[in-house]
Amino acid sequence: MSETILAVENVSKRFAGRIALDSVSIDVARGSITGMIGPNGSGKSTLFNIIAGTLRPDEGRVLVNNKSIATASAAEICGLGVARTFQISRLFAEMTVLENLVAVARGRDDRAAIALALELLDFLEITDIADRWGAELSYGQRKLVEIARALMLQPKIMLLDEPFAGVNPRLQNRIVEHLRTLCARGITVFFIDHEMRIVLKECDLVYVLAEGRLIARGDTQTVRNDAKVLQAYF
Amino acid sequence: MKGINPLAIAAIAAVAAIVLPFVGSDYAISFSIQLLIFLVLAYSWNWIGGYAGYTHFGQVGFFGIGAYVGSLLNFHYGVPWYLAAVAAAVAGAVVALPLGGAMLRLKGPYFAIGMFGLARVLEAFALGFDSITGGGTGIYLKPVSDLRPIYYAVAAVAFVLLLLTWKLDNSRLGLKLLAIREDESAAESLGIPTTRLKIGTFVASAIAPAAMGSIYAVYLGFIDPPTAFAPNMELTTIAMVLLGGMGTVLGPLVGAVALSVVNEVLWANYPQIYLACVGVIVLLAVLFMPRGIVSLGMKSGWLRIGRPLFRSLAARAGQAAS
Amino acid sequence: MPVADLLVGGILLGGVYALMACGLNLIFGVMRVINFAHGDILAIAALSTVSIAVGLKLPFWVAIVFVPIGCAAFGALIHLLILRRIEGAPLIMSLLATYALSTILVNVAILIWGGGYSGLPGVLSGSIRILGINVSISRLVSFASAIGVSLAVWWVLEYTRFGRAVRSVSAAPELASISGIAIERVRLATFALGTAMAGFAGVLVAPAFAIDPQLGSRFIIKAFAVIIVGGMGSYPGAILAALLLGVIEVFGSYFAGAVIGSAFLFLLMLAVLLVRPRGLLGAGVRV
Repeated sequence: MSETILAVENVSKRFAGRIALDSVSIDVARGSITGMIGPNGSGKSTLFNIIAGTLRPDEGRVLVNNKSIATASAAEICGLGVARTFQISRLFAEMTVLENLVAVARGRDDRAAIALALELLDFLEITDIADRWGAELSYGQRKLVEIARALMLQPKIMLLDEPFAGVNPRLQNRIVEHLRTLCARGITVFFIDHEMRIVLKECDLVYVLAEGRLIARGDTQTVRNDAKVLQAYF
Repeated sequence: MKGINPLAIAAIAAVAAIVLPFVGSDYAISFSIQLLIFLVLAYSWNWIGGYAGYTHFGQVGFFGIGAYVGSLLNFHYGVPWYLAAVAAAVAGAVVALPLGGAMLRLKGPYFAIGMFGLARVLEAFALGFDSITGGGTGIYLKPVSDLRPIYYAVAAVAFVLLLLTWKLDNSRLGLKLLAIREDESAAESLGIPTTRLKIGTFVASAIAPAAMGSIYAVYLGFIDPPTAFAPNMELTTIAMVLLGGMGTVLGPLVGAVALSVVNEVLWANYPQIYLACVGVIVLLAVLFMPRGIVSLGMKSGWLRIGRPLFRSLAARAGQAAS
Repeated sequence: MPVADLLVGGILLGGVYALMACGLNLIFGVMRVINFAHGDILAIAALSTVSIAVGLKLPFWVAIVFVPIGCAAFGALIHLLILRRIEGAPLIMSLLATYALSTILVNVAILIWGGGYSGLPGVLSGSIRILGINVSISRLVSFASAIGVSLAVWWVLEYTRFGRAVRSVSAAPELASISGIAIERVRLATFALGTAMAGFAGVLVAPAFAIDPQLGSRFIIKAFAVIIVGGMGSYPGAILAALLLGVIEVFGSYFAGAVIGSAFLFLLMLAVLLVRPRGLLGAGVRV
């Protein structure tokens, strides 16, 4: 079994008295595709925000590559190899797609940054929109640019927040293809989504969250037949 | 598509600027000095307000600090105006560093109001600690006999700032600042060191205004709290950048020229009407073109400028693929 | 040190600050607009009061009734022409717009009334002795009316249907709209009400202070200090903070002169912004 690249240990989070996460523990294996599902309000995005460093947990800790991120800023966590996309896309509106990518590039080499951006645009087959403003893109285009932008960080693990939501099936398959390719190149993919079909088909491991608590964990067969999961959803 | 060639305009402007003191009247030189000082203020504010998106109403605080530091050095120790300006610039930077660290933790409007309050505090201190600053009476300086060196100094600073802005516009640093403006927390979660960049930009935006404050005091031969910390100066600077185009290279220039013309026509005889007009201009800009003239031009394509390095790359890539 | 005198003076001053701050808070809470021009409306109201009482030689109560109504109408106009168009925009835009508006108002006021000071020497003059302290009648009246109106508006917010509508739009505009509340009308009414409160404060200020067109700029930063210290969006917080800051300003002025005294307020505001941005009673309003 490959080593754990991301470990969440007993993380809890409260918002004004309401429990968003209750002692959740997760581990994600390097090079895998892991999925997390759960009804709305189950705390999935909150967990992502904690892993990415925009929120701090009230209890518990998160380890990336066996290093605790307790004192790290969001930018420093990127340095550890974590990159994320957003559920509602947060592209830089008054910049072109190419600029959106180059803006987040690391390192000092301008040429390398531009080359990487062009390469990623090519990989996701969106080079034709390179000069469009962030504000002008369609919903599906935004999703792809979000992924490209996260990949600019050359991450070891990608956190994707609902990459398939509201996207037409053809584009969904395209995204799945890209994710598989990333996985083959050694990048760990961890995503949240509601599209059960894709999650249950593509993931090596699935976590199920409901009302802030982890209620199931396992491969797709196990999860599909888990009584608690069925109860949470229906 | 044929646009207006920026290089040609720049060349013409540069020649005109260099030649002016020899062919222009004293009045023209005087007017130009004021225009150039506003240019420097506008370009500096453009960095923190236009590029990084941290609009604020307190830049005149640094102008005032520079004015008093420079004036006191000149008055008590006879320091020549150009050295006093350098000292003022250093003072501005030294104050801006801790101040930025503290104030930039505030979000948008709180930051703007906080900086406004700060400028008022500084003005109150200048007024109140009158044993040091001369209080309401102000400080009278020995008038300068020849304005030409001052003109060239200010013109040089303006030119340097324009150049630096152009470099910024074509660099990844510029993109990072714009990213902070567009969505700071997204930028941070994608690895951009927002705090470091914000503070750096803030300090950079304080240096030239402080120097200009010192020079302005020498130019006037006099300084007092209302002159050093004039809110109207703040409004005019912001109006210039807003009207011209926030976060662009030519924006502050366009805005400064436009407003200086309005200033010239109205200020001497009808100062209240002038200020009310500036207010109206800002209002109209906010309502109808918040990104300014130059940005409108950038989007509709008739100005062949604006982040050319990246945008032409993008355009080429886009066309090649489609 | 005449502690009691200073204390009373501070509290009375605080009353006027409270009225201003409550109006600002109301506007901010419902519309997420920080109204930089609030102080200038107060100044224009004060100047109009002087014109009515001295120029037109009408009794003071005419001003009390008509000036706030005029301000409400003016506020409605501002909302329709300006604020309505920038509703979705980031907060800084409304700040810029009202900052510009403030400049326009100050300069128009200078053109109309001249730049000098005026006042209402004959109205509500003199002082009375309460518990051994000399209290100026005009300041007492302005305090009582200011607190009275602030509390009255607070009562309206808590216990009337209109008040409930205002509070829902303030807390959750999308939900308010779904439950059938006409958001646009609520916003318009709120801004008009807030402006009327500033107008009323201006009328009260006229007999008690020397007024000039720049009065607004001096008051606005203090009103901001009040709502930041009290907590933006918190009505009781604004009232408490106003009284506190009034006292601080008076004591500060006694020790260090009027100028440094008012600087204390700004310093306190900055300190609050940095240490506890929520203010005393604020609930961390989302900006």
